[in-house]
Amino acid sequence: MNAAARDRWAGYAFVGPFLLVYAAVLVVPLAMGLVISLHRADLFGRRAWIGLGNYTQALGDPVLHQALGNTILLALLIVPPLTVIALLLALALNRPGRFAAILRGVFFSSLVLSVTIVTLIWRFILTPDAGLIAEGLEAAGHAPIPFLSDPDLVIPAIAVTTLWWSLGFPVMLILAGLQQVPGDIYEAAALDGASRWTVLRRITLPAIRRTLLLVVMLQTAAQLQLFGQAQLLTGGGPGGASRTIVLYIFEVSFGRWELGYATAIAELLFGMIIALTLLQYWLVTRHEGQRT
Amino acid sequence: MIGRALAFGFALLLAGCAPVDERPTIVVQRFFGECGAAYGTSTDVAAAETECGILTTLINRFEAENPDIRVKVNVVAWPGYPQLAAQIAAGDPPDLVTMHQSVISDYAGAGLIEPVEPLLAAAKIDPAAFTPAARAGVEKEGKLYAMPWDTIGRLWHINTALMAEAGLMRGGRPVLPSSPQELLAHARQFRQRTGKPYLIQAQVSAPDFHVALLYTYLLAQDAVIFPDDRHIRLDTPEAREIVTTFRQLNAEGLTTLNQDFPAATAAFVQGEGGIFPVGTWMLGPYEAQAADPRSPLHGHYAVAPFPRLWGDQAAFVDGHAWVVPAAKRPPAERAAMARFLAFLARYNYDWSRTGQLPAFAPVVESPAFRALPHRADIAALARTGRQLPGYVERQSAVQGLIGEELEAAITGAKPVDAALKDAERRVNRLFAQMM
Amino acid sequence: MSAHRLSPLATVLLVLGAAVMLAPMAWTLLLSFKSNAALMADSGAAFAGPYTFENYAAILKGSLTLQWLANSLVVATGAAVGVLVLSSLAGYGFARLEFPFRRTLFVIVLLGLAVPEQAVILPRHQLFAWLGLHNTYPGLILPSLTGSFGVFFMTQYFRAIPRELDEAALLDGASRFTLFWKVLLPLTLPAQATLGVFTFLAAWNDYWWPLISATTSDYFTLTVGLASAQMNYAQTSGLGFLMAQAVFASIPILIVYIAFQKQIVRAMAGTAVR
Repeated sequence: MNAAARDRWAGYAFVGPFLLVYAAVLVVPLAMGLVISLHRADLFGRRAWIGLGNYTQALGDPVLHQALGNTILLALLIVPPLTVIALLLALALNRPGRFAAILRGVFFSSLVLSVTIVTLIWRFILTPDAGLIAEGLEAAGHAPIPFLSDPDLVIPAIAVTTLWWSLGFPVMLILAGLQQVPGDIYEAAALDGASRWTVLRRITLPAIRRTLLLVVMLQTAAQLQLFGQAQLLTGGGPGGASRTIVLYIFEVSFGRWELGYATAIAELLFGMIIALTLLQYWLVTRHEGQRT
Repeated sequence: MIGRALAFGFALLLAGCAPVDERPTIVVQRFFGECGAAYGTSTDVAAAETECGILTTLINRFEAENPDIRVKVNVVAWPGYPQLAAQIAAGDPPDLVTMHQSVISDYAGAGLIEPVEPLLAAAKIDPAAFTPAARAGVEKEGKLYAMPWDTIGRLWHINTALMAEAGLMRGGRPVLPSSPQELLAHARQFRQRTGKPYLIQAQVSAPDFHVALLYTYLLAQDAVIFPDDRHIRLDTPEAREIVTTFRQLNAEGLTTLNQDFPAATAAFVQGEGGIFPVGTWMLGPYEAQAADPRSPLHGHYAVAPFPRLWGDQAAFVDGHAWVVPAAKRPPAERAAMARFLAFLARYNYDWSRTGQLPAFAPVVESPAFRALPHRADIAALARTGRQLPGYVERQSAVQGLIGEELEAAITGAKPVDAALKDAERRVNRLFAQMM
Repeated sequence: MSAHRLSPLATVLLVLGAAVMLAPMAWTLLLSFKSNAALMADSGAAFAGPYTFENYAAILKGSLTLQWLANSLVVATGAAVGVLVLSSLAGYGFARLEFPFRRTLFVIVLLGLAVPEQAVILPRHQLFAWLGLHNTYPGLILPSLTGSFGVFFMTQYFRAIPRELDEAALLDGASRFTLFWKVLLPLTLPAQATLGVFTFLAAWNDYWWPLISATTSDYFTLTVGLASAQMNYAQTSGLGFLMAQAVFASIPILIVYIAFQKQIVRAMAGTAVR
């Protein structure tokens, strides 16, 4: 056997194990999902072909529309503030010294908690009966605020919980991005007497543009799939005011047993996430070809 | 392949650590909460309190008395049906499962649970001993699909100290309203004299709460809620009047707002309101509070069935039952399951200490049960309790849908008319989708 | 690194922010040391003594929390190890070896980055039911192993290593596998640490999949077990106990995080975002 042929087989031997798992646990279910979504199917194996019936049903389902609205609102309330706060924190904490190191540790810490613990903690912060905020308000002579049962407050409450929980990872990514920026650019700028604002706008932000894009893309995809916080904090209530798309998928599949319809909603969400991700990528990178 | 081999090998290694056990194993799946910390290994059933405590000690005792049977207990979050659905879909259901009687039709209709006559016969349990309510709850199309375990209903749990302060006690008994107008009048008087809300209600994350209320007062008027197995009728004058009344209580602040079930439960103990309409299952815990001199509730506790506000005396009831998901099981395992059911049936009195009504008529008649406090006040429930027609499937999902709309209506987020129309439309759509 | 000193305003804001981050955790810690009875009687009781260890004692004595902890450790470790092995092998293959359809296969793997869990989770549940994988460790671990990110990440990392190293080793007569195992793999250790820790964290915190795959309480992971306890809270051992469970469950992961914090940031700076 010659070297090229050996390499060929070695190549498959190296990538094969991953590709097998990838095919079996990702590609096959992906294909199954497309097929199931074209059936009226229940959780226990009964199937009847209905073509695009599930998709037309989704178009006219007011509960899905409400869930879609809630989900988009959550993403809008979470992703932009998260990105801005993470950027500011990363800029402030991107420096040597013990103070910054300790604060980095503090701001990363919530990231390691699981959604169950985050919601457990926040439920007892937000609840109007004995929550931390309610205790504070009562001590100040104010009535407690029913964050989790007021339809107008429940989405912001979940957004704040999620912000608190999700802050660590973007800060980490942006810090990593900042450390890639060569120090001599800053030195040159300092010699030119550039103001800090100019440095930020002209040097830092363009240098970490790709990182920021990554943060926004990852967070958008993640928040459009928000599930645990809504399920555990409010169960989607009051009156569906905090039901997200994925919570609806869970209810339709395992509560109502309508697997076909749930799968169709999941496919629609899939399409939406891809479209948004591509759109964000295109918006940020479309001018780059001309500049370089 | 190294990766897979490693991952699997590692997992199998850890999974394989348990010693081999030859005994027949029964997997018992229940809700009612987890209280291993308090009752971990106790077998003293008589000393146990609360649903969780009594059932935990019962199962411990069964294991102690039957060392030749291995019992695996699986505690699920209430009500555990999404999980059960996932298990059945995975082809790996438990052997005995607690299920609300209102849910049995779904699983029976789809062939997902087995008729239990053979098991009951093997356990020497005579179905003739079931109370009528219990029997109606587990019998679907002529077959018994579960061993009934209790009948549960809603009661008014009453703080008599506050009722006295509000001038709503006569001859040591609370005065309860007999019409919607009187309900509002009492509530206003209560609020005025005590400064506290008349009702304590769990209105957050508790969809079943308002639905039980609506069902109760519709059934009391003999309104047809489910004309057939594919339709619901909610956009009716009767339903509108009931919901509007409860909307009015909220609008005037005559009830607690924004409480979930745990908060409402605690609020009643702390005397933050007069009446907590909630299930029979709180009877046991509140009795314990009333007997405790340190509790704000000490000596000031009474219960009554829902008052007659519209139509006749009636109450929507449900019950717990033990069902058997359909699966192939070896005879030794079935024998073990029969012994477990027989054991549970013997302890039905202990279960009734929770506040639920027993499922076995001889227990209801027994002096021990009669001697439990307040049971005379709620005996009416056994007579007037009614369930939805047996052909109504997806009752749990239906309840969730109606509950969501009622929540919106009662908190004022949606007009009553619109909420009832939406509830009707959503339930009918659910039925239309059923396979 | 920015040489500017933090302005006083920025310092105050940072400290305030840190307080907002820590207050919920401190509150949890306080509650976990209160007896359940005291919390039931008075919700404000957390701010004053007496404090007690009874909730922690209860966890160690009679609850399933330890079993769930073990399950989470097995699943998260299995996922991390599995991803490291599969991604390192595949990353090397894609970065260094020539074989037919290499580019096509790599693109197919990259497309996986765009597939959200939602698109596959329901059919996967059906597939795993058919294969009998629910309520098993492999069933809980396998979905974590499909992540394209690990392969992408390791491919980038291997590409950044100079090819001269390979050529020298191959001239010495080393086999492809020896080259990979003895020469290149040790160079990727920082990347392995990052990828391993993030996979571990993701698997540890996963909720949706274990919620529907691990349905018997002896296979619950901590996330699912705590969720069941939380939803049962009205009927359970009480608030103090729940909070103690939360604290207890967070300890191992906090240790992992503190131990690896430096590597994570450093290695991420090295590769992740170019």
